Amino acid sequence: MQTLDYAIPGTRPTQPGWVTFVPPLAVLMLALLMHYCVPFLGAYAERIMTDMAIAMIAAMSLTIVNGFTGQFSIGHAAFMALGGYTAAWCSYYFCLRYWGQTAVVPGTLFGTHQLILLCCALIGGAVAAGAGWVVGLPSLRLRGDYLAIVTLGFGEILRVLFQQTNSQALSKPELANRPLFGSDPTNPGWVFPPGVGGSLGFTDIPKSTNLFLCYLLVGLTFLFAYRLKFSSLGRALLSIREDEIAAEAMGVNVTRLKVRAFMFAAFFAGIAGTLYAHQSGTTLRPIDSGFIRSFDIVIMVVLGGLGSISGALLAAVIITGVTAALLGLTDYGLLPYRMPVFALVLILMMIFRPKGLFGVHEIWDYLPQFGRKGAK
Amino acid sequence: MSFLLDVQRIGISFGGLKAVQDFTLQIAHGALHGLIGPNGAGKTTVFNLLTGVYLPQTGSIHLGGVSLMGRKPFQIAAAGLSRTFQNIRLFGELSVLDNVRIACHLRGRHSLTATVLRTSFYRRQEAAIEERAMTLLSIFDLGDLAHEQARNLSYGDQRRLEIVRALATVPKLILLDEPAAGMNPAEKIELAKSIEQIRKQFNLTVLLIEHDMSLVMDICERITVLDYGQIIAEGTPGEIQSNPKVIEAYLGEVVTES
Repeated sequence: MQTLDYAIPGTRPTQPGWVTFVPPLAVLMLALLMHYCVPFLGAYAERIMTDMAIAMIAAMSLTIVNGFTGQFSIGHAAFMALGGYTAAWCSYYFCLRYWGQTAVVPGTLFGTHQLILLCCALIGGAVAAGAGWVVGLPSLRLRGDYLAIVTLGFGEILRVLFQQTNSQALSKPELANRPLFGSDPTNPGWVFPPGVGGSLGFTDIPKSTNLFLCYLLVGLTFLFAYRLKFSSLGRALLSIREDEIAAEAMGVNVTRLKVRAFMFAAFFAGIAGTLYAHQSGTTLRPIDSGFIRSFDIVIMVVLGGLGSISGALLAAVIITGVTAALLGLTDYGLLPYRMPVFALVLILMMIFRPKGLFGVHEIWDYLPQFGRKGAK
Repeated sequence: MSFLLDVQRIGISFGGLKAVQDFTLQIAHGALHGLIGPNGAGKTTVFNLLTGVYLPQTGSIHLGGVSLMGRKPFQIAAAGLSRTFQNIRLFGELSVLDNVRIACHLRGRHSLTATVLRTSFYRRQEAAIEERAMTLLSIFDLGDLAHEQARNLSYGDQRRLEIVRALATVPKLILLDEPAAGMNPAEKIELAKSIEQIRKQFNLTVLLIEHDMSLVMDICERITVLDYGQIIAEGTPGEIQSNPKVIEAYLGEVVTES
């Protein structure tokens, strides 16, 4: 294949070097800021902010596949749950084996547990990405509704599989007596089928998720999604959404890029799932892989505008906020109205802003003084 | 003499319909070849066969001595064969510039690491791609519209953008599917000039489908005529114009009154 050497240095104006390093530093600053400032608002605010961060990562990751690439996946919670279960399995049994307990000192910025969490997040993300590859390769030849059904089915299959897992070992001696493998109910293995609690759910996972890690990962996911969207690779993804046949005729390897987009999305979903699993107050349950969870994320992406990263962020904040607000009204019996409220929001949006809050554009395209050339 | 494009007896049938049969075509380096025929003759099917959208059931295709049979469309584009579409297939929601930059993608190196870390290699390459895209756009006077959404362009501009996009893949052979459709006479003359210019500038070979006979007869060096999926004539414009089979295909059989 003939190649053009695009990388020859010349007189062309390139982006300045600071674009490489400054944004990651800004992300770090944001994460530190969140960690030190939000606790002043109280534990409840802290909890909501954590929920928002997890929702933001999940929504941004789904944007990569649903928004950029135009492949409508409605099984995203399955990747979250898979990543969460994997990471939680790693961290829980690691802690149990070496310390005999999984308690975490709250309020730490970055201790041993956070380091473990970060490593587990990478493992969880990688496993989810692997699952994304497995699901993506055969099913991305399908289009539209067919792909949606396959992803939906994947989530449900995973939910049933999580129900069939073994009960978890609750103490160090119990862990020592357990075999590695086997599904005998009286003497279950802890490696395979994994001892992650079956239908009762996975409890006592180390509560190592903190605001610092949450917003660090939100920032990094945003950077990844942003840099992807405004790059050659990202434009190739967008071209698949616009017109697959034309994209392929222009030399875009459609199948490979679709699978890659699916894997990126699954990876970050796995990270979101990890944070969710290690959040204080959660029990990881098989239902977390089900389609109700998936739809929450799809609603965020559609509300924000398919393909808009900042739209997904804003929608994640809005939806988590609204849920929390309705939760506060439990005493008045308003919680059951959560879903009807969302349905109403979506219907109104379809009437007034059929392309979501920002369409494919970003929030700054709507600010006149920072508006990019030509964006409407 | 060696040909750039050497197509031997390709064919495809959809169910019982023989859409294209025994299609043979040889195009020399730098030639401008026309492909004409009545509606439904199979011209666009030939383009789809050449670019891998359909898999030919028989025959062989070679581009510069390399076989293209059984290759996927993106591999064929990488081999140096690019096309425009009869029913415009631009990336409508994206900007004009992005449409061209996507086609530049093919000839660059894009690793995920470089993209996410924005390395200096990545930044130089992006700048070069943008510069090249703008240069190509300016050939067709689309430079001022670079930041417009592609679907907001006028019909003629959209057709020109399709050509620019195809050029951006650095083709050896470019297939133009009715590039003048929907253009007014003045625009057609402009188009003919631009095609001439890009042929010289990029050392291109062109295969053209067109219904506007004056344009075809004016600019093509050789013409192949297709009817009911089969070649009925091949030759210079002069030969084609006086070929009785061609006249019959277009105007119907001559009824002799007895």
